[in-house]
Amino acid sequence: MSGVPHPDYEVVIGLEVHAQLRTRSKLFSPAPVSYGLPPNHSVHPVCLALPGVLPVLNRRAVELAIRAAVATHCTVHPHSVFARKNYFYPDLPKGYQISQYEEPIATGGWLDVPVPDGDATRISRVRLHRIHMEEDAGKSIHDPAVVGSDATHVDLNRAGVPLLEIVTEPDLRSPVEAVAYLRTLRSVLRYVEVSDADMERGNFRCDANISLRLHGAEELGTRTELKNLNSFRSIEAAIEAEIERQADVLDSGGRVQQATMAYDPATGRTRVLRLKENADDYRYFPDPDLVPLVIPSDAIEGVRASLPELAEARCERFQVEFGLGEGDARILTESRPLADFFEAAAREHGAGQSVANWILRDLLRALKEREIEVDGSELSPRAFARLIGLVDEGVTTVKAARELVPHLVESGGDPEVLIRERGLEAVSDTDLIGRAVEEVIAEHPADVESYRGGEKKILNFLMGRVMQRTGGKADPGATRALLARRLDGEEGV
Amino acid sequence: MSGPLGTLSELRDALDAGELTSSALVAASLERAATLGASLGAFIRLREPEARAEAEAADARRRAGRVLSPLDGIPIAIKDNLVRAGEVTTCASRILEDFVSPYSAGVVERLDAAGAIVVGRTNMDEFAMGSSSEHSIFGAVRNPWDSTRTPGGSSGGSAVAVAAGIVPVSIGSDTGGSIRQPASFCGVVGLKPTYGRVSRWGLVAYASSLDQIGAFGRSAADVATVLEVIAGHDPRDSTSLPEPSPPCVEALEADLSGRVVGLPREYFVEDGMAPEVRTAVRAAVAELEAAGAKILEVSLPHSEFAVAAYYLIATAEASSNLARYDGVRYGHRASGVSDLSDLYDRSRSEGFGDEVKRRIVLGTYVLSAGYYDAYYRKAQQVRTLLRRDFDRAFSSCDVIATPTAPELPFRLGERAADPLRMYLGDVYTVSANLAGLPGVSIPCGLADGVPVGLQLLAAPLEEAKLLGVAAAYQRQSDHHRARPPEEA
Repeated sequence: MSGVPHPDYEVVIGLEVHAQLRTRSKLFSPAPVSYGLPPNHSVHPVCLALPGVLPVLNRRAVELAIRAAVATHCTVHPHSVFARKNYFYPDLPKGYQISQYEEPIATGGWLDVPVPDGDATRISRVRLHRIHMEEDAGKSIHDPAVVGSDATHVDLNRAGVPLLEIVTEPDLRSPVEAVAYLRTLRSVLRYVEVSDADMERGNFRCDANISLRLHGAEELGTRTELKNLNSFRSIEAAIEAEIERQADVLDSGGRVQQATMAYDPATGRTRVLRLKENADDYRYFPDPDLVPLVIPSDAIEGVRASLPELAEARCERFQVEFGLGEGDARILTESRPLADFFEAAAREHGAGQSVANWILRDLLRALKEREIEVDGSELSPRAFARLIGLVDEGVTTVKAARELVPHLVESGGDPEVLIRERGLEAVSDTDLIGRAVEEVIAEHPADVESYRGGEKKILNFLMGRVMQRTGGKADPGATRALLARRLDGEEGV
Repeated sequence: MSGPLGTLSELRDALDAGELTSSALVAASLERAATLGASLGAFIRLREPEARAEAEAADARRRAGRVLSPLDGIPIAIKDNLVRAGEVTTCASRILEDFVSPYSAGVVERLDAAGAIVVGRTNMDEFAMGSSSEHSIFGAVRNPWDSTRTPGGSSGGSAVAVAAGIVPVSIGSDTGGSIRQPASFCGVVGLKPTYGRVSRWGLVAYASSLDQIGAFGRSAADVATVLEVIAGHDPRDSTSLPEPSPPCVEALEADLSGRVVGLPREYFVEDGMAPEVRTAVRAAVAELEAAGAKILEVSLPHSEFAVAAYYLIATAEASSNLARYDGVRYGHRASGVSDLSDLYDRSRSEGFGDEVKRRIVLGTYVLSAGYYDAYYRKAQQVRTLLRRDFDRAFSSCDVIATPTAPELPFRLGERAADPLRMYLGDVYTVSANLAGLPGVSIPCGLADGVPVGLQLLAAPLEEAKLLGVAAAYQRQSDHHRARPPEEA
């Protein structure tokens, strides 16, 4: 069923993303935002909701929220209000979450999302309903293996961490489109340095609202909400599974019930967590401990002026400026550090496509193997450009240069010095190459016969032997020419 | 020394003159707290060893010529809803009976920095909910003028501690009259400052948009001295005003000539108040006029909605503020619970008293889907209208004079079965909280052997003007010098 639109029904998907804002301290508490600390080691009386504590809004979080809103073409409101969402749960220390309800910080934006469509890519505009700020809850730990009994333990390190909730209109029409939107949103949030948007660390989480309706129908079908989707793969699979489930219900004459659903990757199916018979009553009201958030218009304009060029614009510019194909440009602009690296190296080297090829073929693999981003590597754009230049100049071989990339990523250094130290200069000494050719021909008489008998492909095998004998330092072009000449009948050298 | 302590200014003069040491003063205060204070139910806990040690340090400072403030070495009492690091803060509730705070309230820090010596934590209505100081797990507080009557509430213990001469000044909190009404019932001065004047950091919340910390004393000058110490901006409270502590004490010398005192026509209607209250308040207004003030009738047309709006907003906020007492992290936790829901139900059922439960239930209802617009939103609209009423009134007068309470202190237990009647007793005080205004209650005579209070209200941040009028009145009258009879 994967990704194929259902023949009878139109799929309607709206997404809610919770992205953790990149701040040092929590949204309303001076406690640091941490990752991986022992339970309850990053807490303050405010996080614990001790009697008498009061929230104070983190200014940095507001700046980041404005950045995100401007980058997604939302209207930032000069006046917004924090509200209390009241419910009891052990990992919600105050008995309410401070969020925004009637008056969020921003509404009404959009993102242009490149959606894979066969071999091509089409742009789909996804409208954003609203963006609001809220605090995260803590974590309940039920696992007996961790807790040591059947008790539930509560870790409040995460309680109060600043989140941005970004809600789309129900504009998405397929799981593929949903994932494409999420990738674009993640890229934007990273570009503007609002969020690390790292799904594995839980700082980019997604809930999906899904409904089906007959093609051409005006009214939306009854929706279900898929909770806690934590990887792009699981999001796509979960939405597909839920579409199938709803289609089956409708096909058999049933009605979809409003419910919160969970996806089980083991079975590949969704199941009902709880039915929403009545709307939950969270008794929202403006938090009287906080004053309305007032954002002067010049602050919004200041943020707008300071925003970096975003991926979409940069992708287009790279195609024009460096003559890249759209696919290459898109990969190179997916993350801002990579785009910065490419641009710097391309300017240094002069030939953008060549630099792009080296990045796409060699650098990305070396980074992936080490699970780092380019800004976490020791390789500078200048050194990278120089390395490619050394190949262009024939100072070293492609093979030797490729082998140097992982080392440069890990330890940095000057490519020229490294090539000299490691003896990786290209060998163009014809005597040396000639000797190797003679030896290989002498050692493989049968293969030489076959070649001469018409099996020209054997040249590659013999070529490999010669390269091996020269330790990969021989200039491949010169070697191949010499070998071919020798085999094609020129007796002796 | 077994008699009542003098006023703050008297005690300070004695300390300055070397006629008295802080150690002796604090010892006398503690002794009186342990005897008379105990019989009146005024205190929840005395800081017996700590206060004595702090007094010795204050004496040493004074000998070295390093007096920190006008409160240095002065015994003071604080309401048991202000936290202090390492000490128990109960709010007179079982749910916090053993709660030790790891941090101190902003006000407590300021008192410490000023050298004031907290001798004890005073009894109160549980979570400051009540007008009688009867709703306490530590038992009711009694009125020192007549121990069969209520001292008012919720800051009854703090009012009694001053009225009974145990301390010269004390700290309370006022959400709908919880300083001014007990001040009135106990014959002392009680000031509720402008909302945001005094940091709420470390004040256990009842209703966040209404709660304000203030002071009790025997004179306008004494509460002005305390206000100067405790007021001022605190970045830990987002609703704290940026203005620095107001210089009030200097302004107290001004006379009343040119001052306009407004009398809201809606407050002085037939049957609005007990005849004894009317008589005393009318007499006080006449004294203000005689002292040079101009009396002007003003109108606060939305006053009739104030009590309703107050009980909607206060209970709504309380229902949310008290959700944190869930038995999970601290405070009372029921034993032998079967599951999470049982943990919540029983911990809270056992931990809260009836009045607190009543307000949580009311507030939960007020905020519920389908009722929010009819109740909470409407109450906020009333609040806006009330603010406008006061803005308009203060364009033609400097202060507004009203009774503090519509009646004399009622008998203990009398209102237990009739909460609505108790709520209606807040009719004159709640408007100041809804509008964020400063208000003060000052003694204006006795009736039936118990005190009557005159309430003065001023525009936001006009504490100096407000206390100036109160001080001028007190230069003309002796009502604030009256002392309750000493028990045999």
